[in-house]
Amino acid sequence: MSVTEYDAIILGAGVAGLTAGTFLAGRGFKVALVTSGEPTACLSTGCIDVCSRDSNPLTGINGLPPAHPFHLVPEKTIVESLNNFQAAMLDMGLPYAGAAKENRVVLSALGTFKTSCLVPSTMKAAPQDAKDSIHIITFAGLKDFYPSYVISRRKNTKFSVYDAGVVSTMGIASHFEDKEFLESFIAWLRDQNIDEDKIAFPAVLGLESAAEIVQTIATRVGKPVFEIPTIPPSMPGRRLFNALKDYFRKKGGDIYWEWPVIGVEKSGKIIEAVMTASKGRPSSLNGKAFILATGSFVGGGLTAGRDSITENIFNLQVLAPGPRETWFENDYFSFNHGIGRAGIKVDSSLRPAETNWENIFVCGGILADTEILKNGCGHGLALATAHLAAQSCMEYIR
Amino acid sequence: MNFEHCIRCTICVENCPVMRVNPDFPGPKQAGPDAQRFRSDREKAEDGWVLLCSQCKRCEMACPCGVEPAQIILKAQQRYGLEHPHSLAHLLFANNYYLSMLGSFTAPLANRIAATKIGKKIFDAMSIATYIPFPKFRFHKLSWEKKTPNRRSRKVAFFYGCFINFYRPDIGRKIIQLLKSFNVDVVLPPQWCCGLPSLGNGNLQLARSFALKNTASLSNYIDAGYDILYSCTSCGLCLLHDYQDIMDIPKAKKIAENTYNLHEYILRLVDDNYIKPQFQEVPRKLAYHIPCHLRALGIGYPAAKLMSMIPGLTCEIIDDNCCGLSGSYGFKKSNESTAISIGNRAVARIQKTGAETIVGDCGSCRMQLGGLSGLVTLDPAEVLSESLGITLAKKVKS
Repeated sequence: MSVTEYDAIILGAGVAGLTAGTFLAGRGFKVALVTSGEPTACLSTGCIDVCSRDSNPLTGINGLPPAHPFHLVPEKTIVESLNNFQAAMLDMGLPYAGAAKENRVVLSALGTFKTSCLVPSTMKAAPQDAKDSIHIITFAGLKDFYPSYVISRRKNTKFSVYDAGVVSTMGIASHFEDKEFLESFIAWLRDQNIDEDKIAFPAVLGLESAAEIVQTIATRVGKPVFEIPTIPPSMPGRRLFNALKDYFRKKGGDIYWEWPVIGVEKSGKIIEAVMTASKGRPSSLNGKAFILATGSFVGGGLTAGRDSITENIFNLQVLAPGPRETWFENDYFSFNHGIGRAGIKVDSSLRPAETNWENIFVCGGILADTEILKNGCGHGLALATAHLAAQSCMEYIR
Repeated sequence: MNFEHCIRCTICVENCPVMRVNPDFPGPKQAGPDAQRFRSDREKAEDGWVLLCSQCKRCEMACPCGVEPAQIILKAQQRYGLEHPHSLAHLLFANNYYLSMLGSFTAPLANRIAATKIGKKIFDAMSIATYIPFPKFRFHKLSWEKKTPNRRSRKVAFFYGCFINFYRPDIGRKIIQLLKSFNVDVVLPPQWCCGLPSLGNGNLQLARSFALKNTASLSNYIDAGYDILYSCTSCGLCLLHDYQDIMDIPKAKKIAENTYNLHEYILRLVDDNYIKPQFQEVPRKLAYHIPCHLRALGIGYPAAKLMSMIPGLTCEIIDDNCCGLSGSYGFKKSNESTAISIGNRAVARIQKTGAETIVGDCGSCRMQLGGLSGLVTLDPAEVLSESLGITLAKKVKS
């Protein structure tokens, strides 16, 4: 069996896992991150929601129910995690606008407002109220975005269609990375003589250089330009994932793709290694500590059976909201589905409660009592708890 | 895993290099799990667009639900191949092994013709793309080398693959020297094409006949205590994955359990304290292009770990950058523009790193990236050899 030694092994490549990994790798620890697929962050809008219940996210957090894991993270650490994130993304050419003490809104693909804390710079110019007039540019054949939804909810909104020659989100985004395409597009856009205050696009303006592309278009057309996040495939989510991943690697972390963990080696109160079955031989990675950031159901951290919920790697005890009847409300669109509270209960150092394991730390969407949809706290909670988990892990390794 | 586990999240779509540049390909989700619901044994296959899939397997790496879109498409490609006449290019590349044998036997003549205008016209008539030069055949194949085992404690049988054998036997010789310097016995077992080119060109039957011959040969060596080593990542993927899965070869499991990637094996020698390589300084700035099939093997990036031990070497890992050639895929006229578009994007990404040299495990990736960028390309084994001062004892004329 192939054995490789690490200080810390991160399970999961989402916002929480990559952030915790970067924190440790940046401080000189040997870190490996294992994942069996790409994270749900790729499907997200790329916005960092910290707590969308209040105009000030930090005040919002104070008002969360006492069991919420945000209460385990000191406010200083929350702010630090957001600042570190912004610095990292700036370094990777994907700047984020916003600050910890104030929420802002982005225009959604339905014409509603979505509250968030940090937003990609490509969405910075989004109107903060109903006043600005908007001209939407969409693309011929793009089936994942309908400007009429926005127009039905907003006054002073028009749209035009550009034929990019391809119809998929990825295809159009890929075209925008091509200088010649961008130039001919800008020439067309200038010819439209748009009167409205701002120009909006579905979020397809480039893959890795979106910030630059939006800036270029805005400068050349002389109007504020912003992106509207779309349903998946979501470019802002992919850009976020790519930037976090590259940053982690830049800090010296190793990533193992296609590494579904199928077994664990333990001794006493210590987890010693995680194992994977490749097509050939099982291989294992040894670590002094493990950070569990596998997400909840869609991310693959939890599986719901008929009557119970299981944690997929260490078989940790999962807090279920109650018997199955309490998992779901009758209203599908309700924010109060009991299942939103399912997850791993932790102590103040983010070790799983009610187990004896000394060297597991848990962060991100797999935590119990998050109610992420209701509280609007997905990526923000991931960043904050990743920092705390990594700090606890660091103290433990030392 | 079953195609019905697809939750239609589109993460695979975000990862498909072909869909980005070729609107005719509906993408891994639609061509894979979506279309699978409509495929029936009682109806003739009419999904010719499945042939546009290059089998990079990025969709499988990305899927959070364990669905294998590329595998579903590969099966559809075989079925389409059974029910429809093959194009000349498909026929030729399926039989690449025999063609290469002929080319290698007549190397001076074959190379000269391939480089002339008439040669290009011949390629053109056969619908073979000529945007990058066809690789040069070598008369002195690696399979001609005579090796006598020295009864060292570690012994390996080297599955060198067609690319090294017919085009770059010098790399093969370097690998043998490298292993010898690590006190490992190397033999060259009787071997045929791994079968992947036949599979990729819709000829499952031919692929199976190669696989059966290889399995019989390699199995004897395993019984005699040899580990099997491959250096071509596509051969490796075929031996470990396709023999077990789509080809359903008896004894495939035994082959997979005893077959190692070259660098994975060397790393294991280091881990076991069998060797302590004294790497000397190599002042190079490299961009390490991770071949899609290395990523798909799920063994991490062992060559990157080895190269990180070389002083003076900077090596940036780029692993979301399909080269576009995908073996014989890009050599077909029908895929030429797709392959060039994907390749140019990959080259632009590499040029951003400022590296002077591209390193990559896969011969066809290097052919494509070197051809499109004009940069020097190296196999990781060549970099290791350089650092350890390994040169070929005698020059063999091609």
